[in-house]
Amino acid sequence: MTARTRSAAPGRARVSRPLNFLFRVFFTFLLRYRRTALGPIWALIGPIVFVGTLGFLYSHIGNRPPTEFLPHIAVGFVTWNLIQSMITGAGSVFHRGRANILQGQLPLDDLVMLEVMTNVVTFLHQCLVIVGVFIIFGTPFTWYSLLSLVGVALIIINGIWVVRLIGLVSARYRDLAEVLPAVMRVVFLATPIIWMQDRGARGSFISAFLTYNPFYHFLELVRSPLLGHPIEPITWIVTISITVLGFVIEGFVTARYARYVPLWV
Amino acid sequence: MPKPIEASTDDAAEAEKPANAQTIAPRVAPLIVARNVTLQVPVFLPQERQLLSNPLRLVTDLYLGRSKRVYTTLLDNVSVKLMPGERLGLIGANGAGKSTLLKVLTGIYQPSSGTLKINGEATGLFGIALGMLNEATGLENIYMRGLQMGLTLKQIRALIPEVIDFAELEDAIERPLSTYSAGMRLRLTLAVSTMIKPDILLLDEWIGAGDEHFKTKFKQRMLDLVESSRGMVLATHSFNLMKALCTRALVLAEGRVVFSGPVDDAQQFYLENAQLRRRKPRQE
Repeated sequence: MTARTRSAAPGRARVSRPLNFLFRVFFTFLLRYRRTALGPIWALIGPIVFVGTLGFLYSHIGNRPPTEFLPHIAVGFVTWNLIQSMITGAGSVFHRGRANILQGQLPLDDLVMLEVMTNVVTFLHQCLVIVGVFIIFGTPFTWYSLLSLVGVALIIINGIWVVRLIGLVSARYRDLAEVLPAVMRVVFLATPIIWMQDRGARGSFISAFLTYNPFYHFLELVRSPLLGHPIEPITWIVTISITVLGFVIEGFVTARYARYVPLWV
Repeated sequence: MPKPIEASTDDAAEAEKPANAQTIAPRVAPLIVARNVTLQVPVFLPQERQLLSNPLRLVTDLYLGRSKRVYTTLLDNVSVKLMPGERLGLIGANGAGKSTLLKVLTGIYQPSSGTLKINGEATGLFGIALGMLNEATGLENIYMRGLQMGLTLKQIRALIPEVIDFAELEDAIERPLSTYSAGMRLRLTLAVSTMIKPDILLLDEWIGAGDEHFKTKFKQRMLDLVESSRGMVLATHSFNLMKALCTRALVLAEGRVVFSGPVDDAQQFYLENAQLRRRKPRQE
């Protein structure tokens, strides 16, 4: 319509400053732990207890050796935390930023990028748990392991459209923010994080089920290279098509509805 | 007071233009052109509930009650033009649409219909206390607010001595904001919010507070901001302020522009028409 209003969301042009966002997110992250005795280590205690306790427990339940199961659950859980916090956080991202939106302090895209980056910083920090488990159990680290960085990158990139799309829809329909945690809890249990699928058991019910679980594929992209398993072609197909499709849908919805967000929140 | 500034900014804008633009557009390009801007917003109302007359309704409403959506018109066919050097005052009762118009000009709300063109960057000085972090030190707050304004670390570093000096915080700048007195916090907030000079300044009520000494000092700083900006839109209930600062005024009533002209005439128009000062509920 005009020079400024043509962009879908107010202030979209300002997105091109990743460093600026990174400074702010990192500082906010450190600030949160400033008055605590242990500092950011607090954020690690949860994952350590989870991986330590459930790792040993479920390795017995599932009859897997701990050397195999603990790296599996460590990578799975930390990566899952990233995915899950992006999705559930997206449900309230614009509501939390309400004051900033209405006073013009933060454009919608800034809020989205800050939300995504906050999750990324938390994730990178939790990766220390993975490093610890790998050292303790002597999991080999090879060149192939580095491929999991591509998986991490894909999850983060998808996080941008997920946060924008879910944030936008739940700005209008607040029900979504209520439903998301419940759904994510089910998905958590339906995805091999605290259990392991049988590799090589093709055509089984489980492998058919997992083929239709997109979260499994994103998880596999990160986990398989680190554990030395091959990545199946279907995983690449699913994740890349979701990325493309996600941005197309989100682009359409944003262009059409982003201007209503300040009125909805 | 406004007159000399008006002339100088006009010249500056003229000088910035490439030579061939003169032949196409001999007049100075306006900073803001809003044409027939209408803003309709959805309001979600819960459906009529007669909880007391029929307790059973509680249950049915809980599961079957739907909120209904009505549209309210906050701005109705508003056309505004702001030329370089102009300072526009907005007059109107509470709920007349002054703040809403400013939010449209800042880009927070996008018009439902009509066109809006901004040549430059319109910055609203509202919500100035937002983004101040209690746990962070004063210095860190300057950095964070600066980053939020889109400045680089280098630019912020260059501004810091002036901000600390203006806010009169000295060594306290190294202490967390939570240890500040109300006055110190206010001085820092005001100093930080005004550390960069807006291109086009939008003000929803004049800002300023503090002890007498700081109030005077800050008023001068605000006047500097106004003078250095290429244009200003100010919504205020104070006619004295408007007369001192503005070159033109609009009278708004129920989201419509009902008068546009010199400040004195606008004031007279507003005071003579009592119905303009009545606040009406926004309903369609």
